[in-house]
Amino acid sequence: MKKYHLVRRSGQSIKRLLIYYLIGITISMGIGAVLLWSLGINPFEYYGRMLTIGMVGNKYAYKNVEGLLKILVPLLITSLALGLSFKMRFWNIGGEGEFLIGAISAAIVAFNVTGLPRPLTILLMCIAAMLSSGLLGLAVAFFKVRFNTNETLVTLMLNYIMLYLITYLGKTKEDWNFFLDPKSARPIFGKFPESAIMDGIKIGNFNLLWSVIIAVALIIFIYIYLKYTKHGYEISVVGDSAATAKYAGMKVSRIIMRTMFISSAMIGLAAGLTASASGTISETVTNNVGWTGIVVAWLGKLSVPAIAVTSVLIAILQFGCKTAATKYPSIDSNFADLLQGIILFSVLTADFCATFTLKKKEDAKK
Amino acid sequence: MEYAIELKGISKQFGPLFANKNVSLQLKKGEILALLGENGSGKTTLMNMLSGIYMPDSGSIFIDGKKVSISSPEDSAKLGIGMVHQHFKLVERFTALDNIRIGLRDNKGLLLKKDTKEQVMKQAERFGFEIDPDKLVSNMSVSEKQTLEILKVLCYGAKIIILDEPTAVLTVQEIDKLFKVLRKMKEEGHSIIIITHKLNEVMDVSDRVTVLRHGEYIDTVVTKETDEKRLTELMVGRKIDLDISCPVIEKTKPLLEIRGLTVKNDEGAVAVDHLDFYIRGGEILGVAGIAGSGQKELCEAIAGLRPVIDGKIIHKGDNIVGLSPHKILEKGISMSFIPEDRLGMGLAPSLSITDNMILKNYADNKGPFIDRKSAREEAKKVIERLKVVTPSTETPVRKLSGGNVQKVLLGREIKSGPNVLITAYPVRGLDIGSSYMIYDILNEQKKKDVGILFIGEDIDVMMALCDKIMVICHGRLQGVVNSNHTTKEEIGLMMTGALDLVDKGGKTAGIAKDSVIEDAEDKNKAEDAGL
Repeated sequence: MKKYHLVRRSGQSIKRLLIYYLIGITISMGIGAVLLWSLGINPFEYYGRMLTIGMVGNKYAYKNVEGLLKILVPLLITSLALGLSFKMRFWNIGGEGEFLIGAISAAIVAFNVTGLPRPLTILLMCIAAMLSSGLLGLAVAFFKVRFNTNETLVTLMLNYIMLYLITYLGKTKEDWNFFLDPKSARPIFGKFPESAIMDGIKIGNFNLLWSVIIAVALIIFIYIYLKYTKHGYEISVVGDSAATAKYAGMKVSRIIMRTMFISSAMIGLAAGLTASASGTISETVTNNVGWTGIVVAWLGKLSVPAIAVTSVLIAILQFGCKTAATKYPSIDSNFADLLQGIILFSVLTADFCATFTLKKKEDAKK
Repeated sequence: MEYAIELKGISKQFGPLFANKNVSLQLKKGEILALLGENGSGKTTLMNMLSGIYMPDSGSIFIDGKKVSISSPEDSAKLGIGMVHQHFKLVERFTALDNIRIGLRDNKGLLLKKDTKEQVMKQAERFGFEIDPDKLVSNMSVSEKQTLEILKVLCYGAKIIILDEPTAVLTVQEIDKLFKVLRKMKEEGHSIIIITHKLNEVMDVSDRVTVLRHGEYIDTVVTKETDEKRLTELMVGRKIDLDISCPVIEKTKPLLEIRGLTVKNDEGAVAVDHLDFYIRGGEILGVAGIAGSGQKELCEAIAGLRPVIDGKIIHKGDNIVGLSPHKILEKGISMSFIPEDRLGMGLAPSLSITDNMILKNYADNKGPFIDRKSAREEAKKVIERLKVVTPSTETPVRKLSGGNVQKVLLGREIKSGPNVLITAYPVRGLDIGSSYMIYDILNEQKKKDVGILFIGEDIDVMMALCDKIMVICHGRLQGVVNSNHTTKEEIGLMMTGALDLVDKGGKTAGIAKDSVIEDAEDKNKAEDAGL
């Protein structure tokens, strides 16, 4: 006879959620500590470096902030964009593919448009990236509303198509392939001309890239867009109940296609900014934001401020793990990935525990 | 005395809400027990604990005097309990026989038993079921499906049969047939629990009645020693006036005239077939028909949400066929449809009352932003006028109780002052008190010379509330009857298509004497239809 069963908790409490998150993170870091200790590394030192992203006692601490922001910007924009489509219950898991096509398009502009001033070149790169990604998302949405295809499968497949496309470009040494470095005998992606590489505002030695400012502006814009505009209202109604939207006379197909275009175009923008900031592209240009973004969007419960906070925390975790790992020869960046995985898993478990509780069955009182 | 089923102190909680609180119930062997209660009183939850879908949080279950634990439908079936759910659990693409085969547990070995058909037919004969074992479920009528469901649990050897609102989807004649079968089953020694909130049925078929209210056990009475009034009081908890008023208003010229309307359903089959009818201002026209007779398609066609294949919809002299839903709304035609899940259409459940208020006219505000301020004002007005119980205007609609959800929906539809109000199943799933409040709202609109199309399920209610009742069967008009001069039996016969009153007494039903549509056009129309 079953004595216990799962019951949804009554009411939601932010406080309880945060406490559970804290417990979850502590446990996962405890597991990480045991692993580190068994490898002969002092876990406190490691975690200290990780959480301060290696800034303490570092002459070039500002470099680490720059590095962190480079990871943060694409993750933040991609998570926001994915959140937009998830809010409409459109399961766009094609962040990777949309990012890659955006990066390729930005690179096409960067390698071929020369002689223009830097802001104009970068603007053109971003427009090219947004258009290509946006059209890809629009196509997925079109097939969904026209033929009722499964968007999860389509976007997933497109991820692989785009990955193999960029791999092909990076491995094919031919005359037409302007993506590659002409000086190198081996096929490697070339560096963008100077006018296609993003600069920023100098604050002392610290270089605040323009992409950061754009990302912050996007947070505010999307927040207002979802909360106060007609478009945002339509997205929530369609996501809540497509039948209701239809009954209210909304053009559901058009709303889905428009939102998917905006969502993918934002991912394209993230790709354009990232390509420009790093001055080149590669197969790993996405840094997996298409995947991590899904986790961030859901951990942030599709709320814009929560997505912003979550992506900062995840970026610190990613960058911190990598910096801490560089100091110890016995571990490499794979350990950072492992630790990230453990922490994310425990946070999701904590989320589950905060929503559900175990209840004991009682017999009737005689 | 040993009971077939005895429940002692059963409680079940969903979040903070008690669906059942300390409920006790006894079912004698060979009796029909009616389980009576308003919607949300926990009848279905209680029965789901007997059929193994839920586990009680506390309390004990005794079958034939032995304490048992039911943790799965499998356990329940082994104990001889069979439940016929409100929403049938059948495989549409299988035949009747194959549907029964799925759950047979005596089938050992790899091959299907050959004598299953014989066994099934023997059972069917014993209880007087009419069933074709080789018919596909997808070709069956609702009543046939229900027969199959009951036969299914009998074939699985159930001695205790639970029926969850079995009459909700049946016509009067079909209900009689069902009750005959139930009595036969009782004679054969089966024990039956029937869940319902229709009092006349309780009086008709049951031996005893157990009443639940707000998840709590109220009383068990012997049917012969009670009456409908007493049962209502037990069910609602206070005295209630069971009369629905139908005020007589001076009627205006036809507001909405529908002529030869033909509409297809999502599968492309004809759902509304050359339908003629009209609504005047100041009257309520009821639409009766078996579920799925084209009611939904009719509503959607009038509201401009579904393409019209053929025919006219004339509103105050203008044909509105082909106009956008928004334009039709602007003309003062308002449509609300309560689907089976009650939240699927018309309201966005996770959005606040405020946000739901502007669902149909959010686009009227100039500029890219929505006007939440005036929406909040409207929400406040609706809450005040219709006495909606809610913590605030910002509460998500799904957190409201059923009656309040439907009040919000109706409130939105009437706030813009429509002249034609189309409302489908507005009291679906509501308790008696809330239903009467909805009828009052509709009558109030009628007094304002609004023409109301009321698509309903309960014929008793329609006969009391509506001025006239139009009956459709397979999307075809069977006739329009005056609700003062008709009987339930007549409407029942028309619903099944057995009685056609369209051309009764030389007068064609559904076409107004003072129609604004030109006669010549009509003749052409009639000729076209004839060809």
